[in-house]
Amino acid sequence: MKKVVIEVCLGTSCHLLGAQDLMAYLERVPKDWKELIDVRGTTCLHHCGKGPNISVNGTIYTGMTPDKLQDVLSDLIEAAE
Amino acid sequence: MSQITEVVKLRRKVLTEVARLTFNDQLKEEVGSILTTVVTEDGPRYRCCVHKERAVLRGRIDLALSRPMSESLADAAEKAVAGEVAADMPIINVIDEACDQCPIDKFIVTDACRNCIAHHCIASCPKKAITVHQNRAYIDKTKCVECGLCKKACPYGAIIEISRPCERACDLGAIKAGQDRKAVIDYDRCVQCGACKTACPFGAIGERSYIVQLIQQMKQGKKVVAMVAPAFVGQFGVKVTAGQLFSALQKLGFHDVYEVALGADMVTLEETHEFIESVPSQRNYMTTSCCPAFVGMIEKHLPDLQSHVSSTVSPMVATGRVVKHEVEGAVTVFIGPCTAKKVEASKYTDAVDYVLTYEELAAMFVGAGINVTEMPDNGYAPKSSRHGAIFARAGGVLESVVETATEKGLADRLNAQRCDGLANCKQQLILMKAGKSDINFMEGMACSGGCVGGPGTLTDPRVTGKLVDNYAKTSETMLAEQNDRAQQELKQTKMHRNHN
Repeated sequence: MKKVVIEVCLGTSCHLLGAQDLMAYLERVPKDWKELIDVRGTTCLHHCGKGPNISVNGTIYTGMTPDKLQDVLSDLIEAAE
Repeated sequence: MSQITEVVKLRRKVLTEVARLTFNDQLKEEVGSILTTVVTEDGPRYRCCVHKERAVLRGRIDLALSRPMSESLADAAEKAVAGEVAADMPIINVIDEACDQCPIDKFIVTDACRNCIAHHCIASCPKKAITVHQNRAYIDKTKCVECGLCKKACPYGAIIEISRPCERACDLGAIKAGQDRKAVIDYDRCVQCGACKTACPFGAIGERSYIVQLIQQMKQGKKVVAMVAPAFVGQFGVKVTAGQLFSALQKLGFHDVYEVALGADMVTLEETHEFIESVPSQRNYMTTSCCPAFVGMIEKHLPDLQSHVSSTVSPMVATGRVVKHEVEGAVTVFIGPCTAKKVEASKYTDAVDYVLTYEELAAMFVGAGINVTEMPDNGYAPKSSRHGAIFARAGGVLESVVETATEKGLADRLNAQRCDGLANCKQQLILMKAGKSDINFMEGMACSGGCVGGPGTLTDPRVTGKLVDNYAKTSETMLAEQNDRAQQELKQTKMHRNHN
Protein backbone atom coordinates (compact mmCIF):
# COMPACT_ATOMS: atom_id res chain seq x y z
CA MET A 1 0.00 0.00 0.00
CA LYS A 2 1.14 3.50 -0.80
CA LYS A 3 1.86 5.51 2.33
CA VAL A 4 -0.85 7.88 3.54
CA VAL A 5 0.57 11.39 3.30
CA ILE A 6 -0.49 13.53 6.27
CA GLU A 7 0.39 17.20 6.26
CA VAL A 8 -0.17 18.94 9.58
CA CYS A 9 -0.43 22.72 9.47
CA LEU A 10 1.93 24.19 12.08
CA GLY A 11 1.16 27.83 11.21
CA THR A 12 0.47 30.22 14.09
CA SER A 13 -3.32 30.04 13.77
CA CYS A 14 -3.39 26.23 13.83
CA HIS A 15 -0.68 26.14 16.50
CA LEU A 16 -2.88 28.29 18.74
CA LEU A 17 -5.80 25.90 18.23
CA GLY A 18 -3.90 22.71 19.03
CA ALA A 19 -1.85 21.50 16.04
CA GLN A 20 0.78 20.22 18.46
CA ASP A 21 -1.77 17.80 19.96
CA LEU A 22 -2.18 16.28 16.48
CA MET A 23 1.59 15.96 16.10
CA ALA A 24 1.84 14.39 19.56
CA TYR A 25 -0.90 11.92 18.56
CA LEU A 26 0.85 11.02 15.29
CA GLU A 27 4.06 10.35 17.18
CA ARG A 28 2.39 7.77 19.39
CA VAL A 29 0.31 5.79 16.84
CA PRO A 30 0.86 2.01 16.94
CA LYS A 31 3.95 0.72 15.18
CA ASP A 32 2.09 -1.03 12.35
CA TRP A 33 0.31 2.26 11.54
CA LYS A 34 3.52 4.20 11.68
CA GLU A 35 4.86 2.27 8.71
CA LEU A 36 1.80 3.21 6.69
CA ILE A 37 1.87 6.97 7.20
CA ASP A 38 4.16 9.75 6.09
CA VAL A 39 3.82 12.75 8.42
CA ARG A 40 4.94 16.17 7.23
CA GLY A 41 4.65 19.63 8.73
CA THR A 42 3.50 22.59 6.67
CA THR A 43 3.18 26.29 7.39
CA CYS A 44 -0.30 26.95 5.95
CA LEU A 45 -3.16 25.03 4.35
CA HIS A 46 -5.16 28.23 3.69
CA HIS A 47 -8.11 27.51 5.97
CA CYS A 48 -6.90 29.72 8.81
CA GLY A 49 -9.27 30.24 11.74
CA LYS A 50 -10.94 26.85 11.32
CA GLY A 51 -7.94 24.95 12.58
CA PRO A 52 -6.19 22.91 13.41
CA ASN A 53 -6.11 21.82 9.79
CA ILE A 54 -4.55 18.79 8.15
CA SER A 55 -4.33 17.40 4.68
CA VAL A 56 -4.62 13.63 4.23
CA ASN A 57 -3.63 12.46 0.73
CA GLY A 58 -4.54 15.94 -0.49
CA THR A 59 -7.94 16.21 1.21
CA ILE A 60 -8.20 19.07 3.72
CA TYR A 61 -9.80 18.45 7.11
CA THR A 62 -10.51 21.43 9.39
CA GLY A 63 -11.16 21.57 13.14
CA MET A 64 -9.22 18.38 13.74
CA THR A 65 -8.75 16.70 17.08
CA PRO A 66 -6.68 13.59 17.80
CA ASP A 67 -9.94 11.56 17.99
CA LYS A 68 -11.19 12.74 14.61
CA LEU A 69 -7.76 12.14 13.09
CA GLN A 70 -7.78 8.59 14.39
CA ASP A 71 -11.15 7.99 12.69
CA VAL A 72 -9.88 9.37 9.38
CA LEU A 73 -6.77 7.21 9.53
CA SER A 74 -8.50 4.00 10.55
CA ASP A 75 -11.04 4.41 7.69
CA LEU A 76 -8.22 4.84 5.18
CA ILE A 77 -6.09 2.02 6.49
CA GLU A 78 -9.01 -0.40 6.80
CA ALA A 79 -10.13 0.43 3.25
CA ALA A 80 -6.65 -0.34 1.98
CA GLU A 81 -6.61 -3.71 3.73
CA MET B 1 -0.18 24.17 28.70
CA SER B 2 -0.39 20.50 28.11
CA GLN B 3 -3.52 19.94 26.08
CA ILE B 4 -5.53 22.25 23.89
CA THR B 5 -9.06 21.51 25.06
CA GLU B 6 -12.26 23.07 23.71
CA VAL B 7 -12.20 25.47 26.65
CA VAL B 8 -8.71 26.67 25.71
CA LYS B 9 -9.77 27.02 22.05
CA LEU B 10 -12.77 29.17 23.01
CA ARG B 11 -10.62 31.51 25.07
CA ARG B 12 -8.09 31.82 22.26
CA LYS B 13 -10.75 32.43 19.62
CA VAL B 14 -12.14 35.32 21.69
CA LEU B 15 -8.68 36.88 22.08
CA THR B 16 -7.98 36.45 18.38
CA GLU B 17 -11.28 38.07 17.35
CA VAL B 18 -10.80 40.98 19.76
CA ALA B 19 -7.29 41.54 18.39
CA ARG B 20 -8.46 41.27 14.77
CA LEU B 21 -11.26 43.80 15.24
CA THR B 22 -8.92 46.19 17.08
CA PHE B 23 -6.29 46.01 14.33
CA ASN B 24 -9.04 46.72 11.78
CA ASP B 25 -10.45 49.67 13.80
CA GLN B 26 -13.80 47.85 14.03
CA LEU B 27 -13.92 46.89 17.68
CA LYS B 28 -16.34 49.61 18.84
CA GLU B 29 -18.89 48.86 16.13
CA GLU B 30 -18.40 45.12 15.78
CA VAL B 31 -17.64 43.81 19.27
CA GLY B 32 -21.10 42.21 19.47
CA SER B 33 -20.35 40.13 16.38
CA ILE B 34 -17.96 38.00 18.41
CA LEU B 35 -21.02 36.58 20.16
CA THR B 36 -22.21 35.06 16.90
CA THR B 37 -18.88 34.24 15.25
CA VAL B 38 -17.46 32.25 18.15
CA VAL B 39 -20.79 30.67 19.22
CA THR B 40 -22.59 29.95 15.95
CA GLU B 41 -26.25 29.04 15.43
CA ASP B 42 -25.16 25.41 14.94
CA GLY B 43 -24.83 25.20 18.72
CA PRO B 44 -25.23 24.65 21.54
CA ARG B 45 -22.05 22.65 21.80
CA TYR B 46 -21.10 22.90 25.43
CA ARG B 47 -23.97 24.30 27.50
CA CYS B 48 -27.74 23.97 27.67
CA CYS B 49 -28.42 26.50 24.90
CA VAL B 50 -26.68 29.07 22.70
CA HIS B 51 -27.94 31.84 24.97
CA LYS B 52 -26.07 30.44 27.92
CA GLU B 53 -22.98 29.97 25.75
CA ARG B 54 -23.20 33.59 24.66
CA ALA B 55 -23.67 34.83 28.23
CA VAL B 56 -20.46 33.03 29.17
CA LEU B 57 -18.77 34.37 26.08
CA ARG B 58 -19.69 37.91 27.14
CA GLY B 59 -17.71 37.38 30.32
CA ARG B 60 -14.72 36.23 28.28
CA ILE B 61 -14.94 39.29 26.04
CA ASP B 62 -15.09 41.63 29.06
CA LEU B 63 -11.93 40.04 30.44
CA ALA B 64 -10.21 40.32 27.06
CA LEU B 65 -11.04 44.04 27.13
CA SER B 66 -9.92 44.42 30.77
CA ARG B 67 -13.32 45.92 31.61
CA PRO B 68 -15.78 44.94 34.37
CA MET B 69 -18.68 42.66 33.49
CA SER B 70 -21.21 45.28 34.61
CA GLU B 71 -20.63 47.42 31.49
CA SER B 72 -22.45 46.90 28.22
CA LEU B 73 -20.19 45.38 25.54
CA ALA B 74 -20.31 48.55 23.45
CA ASP B 75 -19.26 50.73 26.43
CA ALA B 76 -16.54 48.29 27.40
CA ALA B 77 -15.18 48.25 23.85
CA GLU B 78 -15.24 52.03 23.61
CA LYS B 79 -13.35 52.44 26.88
CA ALA B 80 -10.82 49.74 25.98
CA VAL B 81 -10.15 51.44 22.63
CA ALA B 82 -9.66 54.71 24.53
CA GLY B 83 -6.95 52.89 26.50
CA GLU B 84 -8.86 52.63 29.76
CA VAL B 85 -8.20 49.74 32.11
CA ALA B 86 -10.51 48.93 35.02
CA ALA B 87 -8.36 50.05 37.93
CA ASP B 88 -9.39 47.94 40.87
CA MET B 89 -10.03 44.72 38.99
CA PRO B 90 -7.88 41.71 39.90
CA ILE B 91 -5.96 39.87 37.17
CA ILE B 92 -7.52 36.45 37.80
CA ASN B 93 -11.33 36.53 37.86
CA VAL B 94 -14.15 34.02 38.12
CA ILE B 95 -16.58 34.32 35.23
CA ASP B 96 -19.72 33.76 37.31
CA GLU B 97 -21.85 32.77 34.36
CA ALA B 98 -19.35 30.07 33.38
CA CYS B 99 -18.93 28.47 36.79
CA ASP B 100 -20.93 25.24 36.86
CA GLN B 101 -21.28 25.38 40.66
CA CYS B 102 -19.73 21.90 40.71
CA PRO B 103 -22.00 20.02 43.15
CA ILE B 104 -19.23 18.03 44.67
CA ASP B 105 -19.55 16.37 48.05
CA LYS B 106 -16.11 15.88 49.40
CA PHE B 107 -16.57 12.29 50.60
CA ILE B 108 -18.59 9.80 48.60
CA VAL B 109 -19.41 6.14 49.23
CA THR B 110 -18.85 4.21 46.01
CA ASP B 111 -20.15 0.90 44.63
CA ALA B 112 -17.16 -0.77 46.25
CA CYS B 113 -18.99 -0.62 49.61
CA ARG B 114 -19.83 -4.21 50.67
CA ASN B 115 -21.91 -3.31 53.71
CA CYS B 116 -19.49 -5.37 55.76
CA ILE B 117 -20.10 -6.43 59.30
CA ALA B 118 -17.31 -4.45 60.94
CA HIS B 119 -18.56 -1.05 59.71
CA HIS B 120 -15.30 0.72 60.42
CA CYS B 121 -16.73 3.79 58.69
CA ILE B 122 -19.58 4.13 61.20
CA ALA B 123 -17.23 3.48 64.10
CA SER B 124 -14.73 6.07 62.89
CA CYS B 125 -17.19 8.91 62.34
CA PRO B 126 -17.03 11.41 65.21
CA LYS B 127 -20.30 13.05 64.12
CA LYS B 128 -22.40 9.91 63.68
CA ALA B 129 -23.04 11.00 60.10
CA ILE B 130 -22.90 7.51 58.61
CA THR B 131 -25.78 5.07 58.53
CA VAL B 132 -26.61 2.12 56.31
CA HIS B 133 -29.23 2.54 53.61
CA GLN B 134 -30.09 0.10 50.84
CA ASN B 135 -27.28 -2.22 51.80
CA ARG B 136 -24.64 0.49 51.62
CA ALA B 137 -23.06 3.11 53.89
CA TYR B 138 -24.62 6.56 53.52
CA ILE B 139 -23.07 9.87 54.58
CA ASP B 140 -25.54 12.45 55.89
CA LYS B 141 -24.24 15.74 54.43
CA THR B 142 -25.96 17.78 57.09
CA LYS B 143 -23.85 16.12 59.79
CA CYS B 144 -20.58 15.46 57.88
CA VAL B 145 -17.70 17.79 58.75
CA GLU B 146 -15.45 16.38 56.00
CA CYS B 147 -12.77 15.14 58.40
CA GLY B 148 -11.94 12.14 56.20
CA LEU B 149 -11.68 9.54 58.98
CA CYS B 150 -14.19 7.24 57.27
CA LYS B 151 -12.13 7.22 54.10
CA LYS B 152 -9.10 6.12 56.07
CA ALA B 153 -11.08 3.54 58.03
CA CYS B 154 -12.67 1.64 55.12
CA PRO B 155 -10.65 -1.52 54.38
CA TYR B 156 -12.03 -1.62 50.82
CA GLY B 157 -11.13 1.97 50.02
CA ALA B 158 -14.80 2.36 49.14
CA ILE B 159 -15.05 5.95 50.34
CA ILE B 160 -13.34 8.42 48.05
CA GLU B 161 -12.41 12.03 48.44
CA ILE B 162 -13.02 14.36 45.55
CA SER B 163 -12.74 18.11 45.28
CA ARG B 164 -13.48 20.84 42.82
CA PRO B 165 -10.67 21.14 40.24
CA CYS B 166 -10.11 24.81 41.07
CA GLU B 167 -9.79 24.09 44.78
CA ARG B 168 -7.42 21.21 44.18
CA ALA B 169 -5.26 23.31 41.87
CA CYS B 170 -4.83 26.10 44.40
CA ASP B 171 -1.97 25.35 46.77
CA LEU B 172 -2.86 28.36 48.90
CA GLY B 173 -6.53 27.64 49.64
CA ALA B 174 -7.55 30.86 47.95
CA ILE B 175 -10.52 29.59 45.93
CA LYS B 176 -13.64 28.15 47.55
CA ALA B 177 -17.25 27.47 46.76
CA GLY B 178 -19.33 30.47 47.78
CA GLN B 179 -22.84 30.39 49.18
CA ASP B 180 -24.44 29.56 45.85
CA ARG B 181 -21.63 27.05 45.16
CA LYS B 182 -20.06 29.36 42.59
CA ALA B 183 -16.31 29.69 42.94
CA VAL B 184 -15.10 32.71 44.90
CA ILE B 185 -11.49 33.85 45.07
CA ASP B 186 -10.17 35.18 48.38
CA TYR B 187 -7.80 37.86 47.12
CA ASP B 188 -6.14 38.16 50.54
CA ARG B 189 -4.78 34.66 49.92
CA CYS B 190 -4.53 34.62 46.09
CA VAL B 191 -1.20 35.37 44.38
CA GLN B 192 -2.71 35.28 40.86
CA CYS B 193 -0.50 32.38 39.72
CA GLY B 194 -3.19 31.19 37.31
CA ALA B 195 -3.24 27.53 38.41
CA CYS B 196 -7.04 27.57 38.84
CA LYS B 197 -7.49 29.06 35.39
CA THR B 198 -5.62 26.14 33.84
CA ALA B 199 -7.44 23.60 36.01
CA CYS B 200 -11.11 24.54 35.54
CA PRO B 201 -12.68 22.22 32.92
CA PHE B 202 -15.51 24.73 32.37
CA GLY B 203 -13.14 27.60 31.64
CA ALA B 204 -14.82 29.58 34.41
CA ILE B 205 -11.69 31.38 35.49
CA GLY B 206 -10.04 33.89 33.25
CA GLU B 207 -7.40 36.57 33.29
CA ARG B 208 -7.77 40.11 32.12
CA SER B 209 -5.89 41.11 29.03
CA TYR B 210 -4.43 44.38 27.76
CA ILE B 211 -4.32 43.54 24.06
CA VAL B 212 -6.74 46.27 22.95
CA GLN B 213 -5.06 49.01 24.97
CA LEU B 214 -1.68 47.88 23.66
CA ILE B 215 -2.70 47.75 20.00
CA GLN B 216 -4.03 51.29 20.39
CA GLN B 217 -0.60 52.42 21.66
CA MET B 218 0.96 50.94 18.52
CA LYS B 219 -1.63 52.65 16.33
CA GLN B 220 -0.80 55.99 17.93
CA GLY B 221 2.79 55.54 16.76
CA LYS B 222 4.32 55.12 20.21
CA LYS B 223 7.66 53.38 20.52
CA VAL B 224 6.30 50.10 21.86
CA VAL B 225 9.18 47.84 22.92
CA ALA B 226 8.78 44.07 23.37
CA MET B 227 10.65 42.46 26.26
CA VAL B 228 10.56 38.75 25.61
CA ALA B 229 10.97 36.43 28.60
CA PRO B 230 13.41 33.50 28.23
CA ALA B 231 10.63 30.89 28.18
CA PHE B 232 9.72 32.03 24.63
CA VAL B 233 11.83 29.29 23.02
CA GLY B 234 9.57 26.88 21.13
CA GLN B 235 6.33 28.57 22.24
CA PHE B 236 5.26 29.45 18.70
CA GLY B 237 6.24 26.10 17.21
CA VAL B 238 9.13 23.72 17.79
CA LYS B 239 10.95 24.89 14.68
CA VAL B 240 10.30 28.64 14.99
CA THR B 241 13.60 30.46 15.53
CA ALA B 242 14.21 33.53 17.70
CA GLY B 243 14.97 35.44 14.50
CA GLN B 244 11.58 34.53 13.02
CA LEU B 245 9.73 35.49 16.18
CA PHE B 246 11.53 38.82 16.43
CA SER B 247 10.78 39.60 12.75
CA ALA B 248 7.13 38.82 13.46
CA LEU B 249 7.13 41.13 16.50
CA GLN B 250 8.45 43.99 14.39
CA LYS B 251 5.90 43.31 11.69
CA LEU B 252 3.18 43.36 14.33
CA GLY B 253 4.15 46.90 15.28
CA PHE B 254 6.84 46.65 17.96
CA HIS B 255 9.51 49.33 17.65
CA ASP B 256 12.23 47.09 19.06
CA VAL B 257 12.71 43.73 20.78
CA TYR B 258 14.78 43.00 23.91
CA GLU B 259 15.39 39.65 25.54
CA VAL B 260 14.59 39.65 29.25
CA ALA B 261 17.62 37.33 29.52
CA LEU B 262 19.62 40.59 29.67
CA GLY B 263 17.85 41.51 32.91
CA ALA B 264 18.28 37.90 34.07
CA ASP B 265 22.05 38.18 33.67
CA MET B 266 21.95 41.41 35.67
CA VAL B 267 19.86 39.72 38.36
CA THR B 268 22.28 36.77 38.53
CA LEU B 269 25.17 39.11 39.22
CA GLU B 270 23.29 41.29 41.68
CA GLU B 271 21.65 38.43 43.54
CA THR B 272 24.97 36.60 43.92
CA HIS B 273 26.50 39.81 45.27
CA GLU B 274 23.57 40.31 47.64
CA PHE B 275 23.87 36.73 48.90
CA ILE B 276 27.58 37.03 49.60
CA GLU B 277 27.05 40.35 51.40
CA SER B 278 24.09 39.32 53.54
CA VAL B 279 24.31 35.57 54.28
CA PRO B 280 25.15 34.60 56.98
CA SER B 281 26.07 38.02 58.42
CA GLN B 282 22.57 39.56 58.30
CA ARG B 283 20.30 36.57 57.71
CA ASN B 284 20.80 32.82 57.76
CA TYR B 285 19.21 32.19 54.35
CA MET B 286 18.00 34.04 51.28
CA THR B 287 15.44 33.18 48.62
CA THR B 288 15.22 34.27 45.00
CA SER B 289 12.82 37.06 44.04
CA CYS B 290 12.16 36.66 40.31
CA CYS B 291 8.89 34.68 40.56
CA PRO B 292 6.15 37.15 41.55
CA ALA B 293 3.73 34.43 42.71
CA PHE B 294 6.42 32.97 44.99
CA VAL B 295 7.20 36.42 46.42
CA GLY B 296 3.46 37.10 46.71
CA MET B 297 2.99 33.89 48.67
CA ILE B 298 5.63 34.94 51.19
CA GLU B 299 4.00 38.38 51.52
CA LYS B 300 0.53 36.95 52.07
CA HIS B 301 1.16 33.64 53.80
CA LEU B 302 4.55 33.85 55.52
CA PRO B 303 5.02 37.58 56.12
CA ASP B 304 7.66 36.99 58.82
CA LEU B 305 10.00 35.69 56.12
CA GLN B 306 9.87 38.75 53.89
CA SER B 307 13.29 39.90 55.05
CA HIS B 308 14.71 36.65 53.66
CA VAL B 309 13.58 37.37 50.11
CA SER B 310 16.28 38.84 47.90
CA SER B 311 15.67 42.56 47.45
CA THR B 312 16.97 42.38 43.88
CA VAL B 313 14.26 43.26 41.36
CA SER B 314 13.07 40.70 38.83
CA PRO B 315 14.61 40.34 35.35
CA MET B 316 11.42 41.93 33.95
CA VAL B 317 11.88 45.09 36.01
CA ALA B 318 15.64 45.27 35.36
CA THR B 319 15.08 44.93 31.60
CA GLY B 320 12.25 47.49 31.70
CA ARG B 321 14.53 50.02 33.37
CA VAL B 322 17.25 49.46 30.77
CA VAL B 323 14.76 49.98 27.93
CA LYS B 324 13.25 53.10 29.51
CA HIS B 325 16.78 54.48 29.84
CA GLU B 326 17.82 53.64 26.28
CA VAL B 327 14.66 54.34 24.28
CA GLU B 328 13.14 57.71 24.98
CA GLY B 329 9.37 57.59 25.30
CA ALA B 330 9.34 53.80 25.19
CA VAL B 331 6.16 51.92 26.07
CA THR B 332 7.49 48.68 27.57
CA VAL B 333 5.68 45.36 27.16
CA PHE B 334 6.75 42.23 28.99
CA ILE B 335 5.86 39.11 27.01
CA GLY B 336 5.99 35.94 29.06
CA PRO B 337 4.24 32.85 30.39
CA CYS B 338 2.95 34.46 33.56
CA THR B 339 -0.26 35.95 34.94
CA ALA B 340 1.30 37.07 38.23
CA LYS B 341 3.68 39.31 36.27
CA LYS B 342 0.64 41.46 35.47
CA VAL B 343 0.34 42.20 39.19
CA GLU B 344 4.08 42.77 39.60
CA ALA B 345 4.15 45.19 36.66
CA SER B 346 1.48 47.34 38.30
CA LYS B 347 3.92 47.92 41.20
CA TYR B 348 6.77 48.98 38.90
CA THR B 349 5.15 51.53 36.63
CA ASP B 350 8.55 53.15 36.06
CA ALA B 351 9.74 50.00 34.28
CA VAL B 352 6.82 48.08 32.77
CA ASP B 353 3.72 49.45 31.03
CA TYR B 354 1.97 46.29 29.80
CA VAL B 355 2.22 42.54 30.23
CA LEU B 356 1.20 39.99 27.61
CA THR B 357 1.23 36.21 27.81
CA TYR B 358 2.54 34.13 24.91
CA GLU B 359 -1.05 33.05 24.37
CA GLU B 360 -2.21 36.66 24.01
CA LEU B 361 0.69 37.46 21.69
CA ALA B 362 -0.13 34.49 19.46
CA ALA B 363 -3.76 35.66 19.33
CA MET B 364 -2.50 39.11 18.27
CA PHE B 365 -0.36 37.54 15.52
CA VAL B 366 -3.34 35.61 14.20
CA GLY B 367 -5.60 38.66 14.50
CA ALA B 368 -3.10 40.67 12.46
CA GLY B 369 -2.76 37.88 9.88
CA ILE B 370 0.86 37.13 10.76
CA ASN B 371 2.04 33.54 10.50
CA VAL B 372 5.27 33.28 12.49
CA THR B 373 6.29 30.04 10.74
CA GLU B 374 6.39 31.88 7.41
CA MET B 375 8.43 34.85 8.67
CA PRO B 376 12.04 35.30 7.53
CA ASP B 377 14.75 34.71 10.16
CA ASN B 378 16.42 38.04 10.78
CA GLY B 379 19.59 36.26 11.88
CA TYR B 380 19.21 37.09 15.57
CA ALA B 381 21.73 35.38 17.83
CA PRO B 382 21.24 35.39 21.61
CA LYS B 383 23.16 38.26 23.15
CA SER B 384 22.89 37.28 26.78
CA SER B 385 24.67 34.45 28.53
CA ARG B 386 23.55 30.89 29.04
CA HIS B 387 22.60 31.92 32.57
CA GLY B 388 20.05 34.45 31.42
CA ALA B 389 18.48 31.92 29.07
CA ILE B 390 18.03 29.11 31.61
CA PHE B 391 16.01 31.31 34.00
CA ALA B 392 13.06 29.94 32.01
CA ARG B 393 13.15 26.52 33.61
CA ALA B 394 13.16 25.34 37.23
CA GLY B 395 16.66 25.28 38.63
CA GLY B 396 17.99 27.89 36.22
CA VAL B 397 18.30 30.78 38.66
CA LEU B 398 19.93 28.57 41.25
CA GLU B 399 22.42 27.21 38.73
CA SER B 400 23.30 30.72 37.58
CA VAL B 401 23.92 32.04 41.09
CA VAL B 402 25.87 28.94 42.15
CA GLU B 403 28.10 29.10 39.07
CA THR B 404 28.67 32.83 39.53
CA ALA B 405 29.68 32.30 43.15
CA THR B 406 31.90 29.38 42.11
CA GLU B 407 33.71 31.65 39.64
CA LYS B 408 34.43 33.97 42.55
CA GLY B 409 35.82 31.03 44.51
CA LEU B 410 32.92 31.11 46.95
CA ALA B 411 31.16 27.87 46.04
CA ASP B 412 31.43 26.54 49.59
CA ARG B 413 29.37 29.46 50.90
CA LEU B 414 26.23 28.15 49.21
CA ASN B 415 23.99 25.32 50.28
CA ALA B 416 21.31 25.66 47.65
CA GLN B 417 17.94 24.05 47.04
CA ARG B 418 15.34 24.58 44.34
CA CYS B 419 11.59 24.19 44.70
CA ASP B 420 8.85 24.39 42.10
CA GLY B 421 5.13 24.40 42.78
CA LEU B 422 3.77 26.68 45.50
CA ALA B 423 3.01 23.83 47.92
CA ASN B 424 6.59 22.55 47.69
CA CYS B 425 7.97 26.07 48.14
CA LYS B 426 5.79 26.70 51.16
CA GLN B 427 6.80 23.42 52.77
CA GLN B 428 10.50 24.14 52.31
CA LEU B 429 10.09 27.69 53.68
CA ILE B 430 8.32 26.39 56.77
CA LEU B 431 11.20 23.98 57.39
CA MET B 432 13.72 26.80 57.02
CA LYS B 433 11.69 29.06 59.29
CA ALA B 434 11.64 26.34 61.95
CA GLY B 435 15.40 25.94 61.66
CA LYS B 436 14.98 22.36 60.43
CA SER B 437 16.89 22.88 57.20
CA ASP B 438 20.45 23.97 56.64
CA ILE B 439 19.70 25.32 53.16
CA ASN B 440 20.92 28.91 52.88
CA PHE B 441 19.89 29.73 49.30
CA MET B 442 16.52 28.74 47.88
CA GLU B 443 15.10 29.15 44.40
CA GLY B 444 11.31 29.38 44.51
CA MET B 445 9.12 28.97 41.40
CA ALA B 446 5.33 28.89 41.67
CA CYS B 447 4.77 26.88 38.51
CA SER B 448 5.75 23.27 38.17
CA GLY B 449 8.82 23.11 35.94
CA GLY B 450 9.44 26.85 36.35
CA CYS B 451 8.35 29.51 33.85
CA VAL B 452 8.00 27.04 30.96
CA GLY B 453 5.13 25.52 32.96
CA GLY B 454 3.31 28.85 33.30
CA PRO B 455 -0.41 29.41 32.61
CA GLY B 456 0.26 31.70 29.63
CA THR B 457 2.34 29.21 27.64
CA LEU B 458 1.40 27.52 24.38
CA THR B 459 3.34 24.28 24.52
CA ASP B 460 4.14 21.25 26.62
CA PRO B 461 6.73 22.24 29.25
CA ARG B 462 8.49 18.88 28.87
CA VAL B 463 9.30 19.85 25.29
CA THR B 464 10.06 23.53 25.84
CA GLY B 465 12.23 22.83 28.91
CA LYS B 466 14.63 20.94 26.65
CA LEU B 467 14.41 23.55 23.88
CA VAL B 468 15.33 26.25 26.42
CA ASP B 469 18.51 24.35 27.31
CA ASN B 470 19.39 23.86 23.63
CA TYR B 471 18.91 27.58 22.96
CA ALA B 472 20.95 28.50 26.05
CA LYS B 473 23.88 26.51 24.69
CA THR B 474 23.98 28.75 21.61
CA SER B 475 24.55 31.83 23.79
CA GLU B 476 27.60 33.91 23.03
CA THR B 477 28.86 33.53 26.59
CA MET B 478 28.28 30.85 29.17
CA LEU B 479 28.39 32.94 32.35
CA ALA B 480 26.49 36.08 33.33
CA GLU B 481 29.82 37.57 34.42
CA GLN B 482 31.06 37.44 30.83
CA ASN B 483 28.10 39.47 29.58
CA ASP B 484 29.77 42.89 29.30
CA ARG B 485 26.49 44.57 28.46
CA ALA B 486 24.87 43.30 31.66
CA GLN B 487 27.93 44.40 33.69
CA GLN B 488 27.68 47.87 32.14
CA GLU B 489 23.91 48.23 32.66
CA LEU B 490 24.24 47.05 36.25
CA LYS B 491 26.23 50.17 37.09
CA GLN B 492 23.48 52.54 36.00
CA THR B 493 20.29 50.63 36.81
CA LYS B 494 18.37 50.65 40.09
CA MET B 495 18.41 46.97 41.00
CA HIS B 496 16.76 46.89 44.42
CA ARG B 497 13.23 46.98 45.64
CA ASN B 498 13.66 48.72 48.97
CA HIS B 499 17.01 50.41 49.23
CA ASN B 500 19.92 51.81 47.11
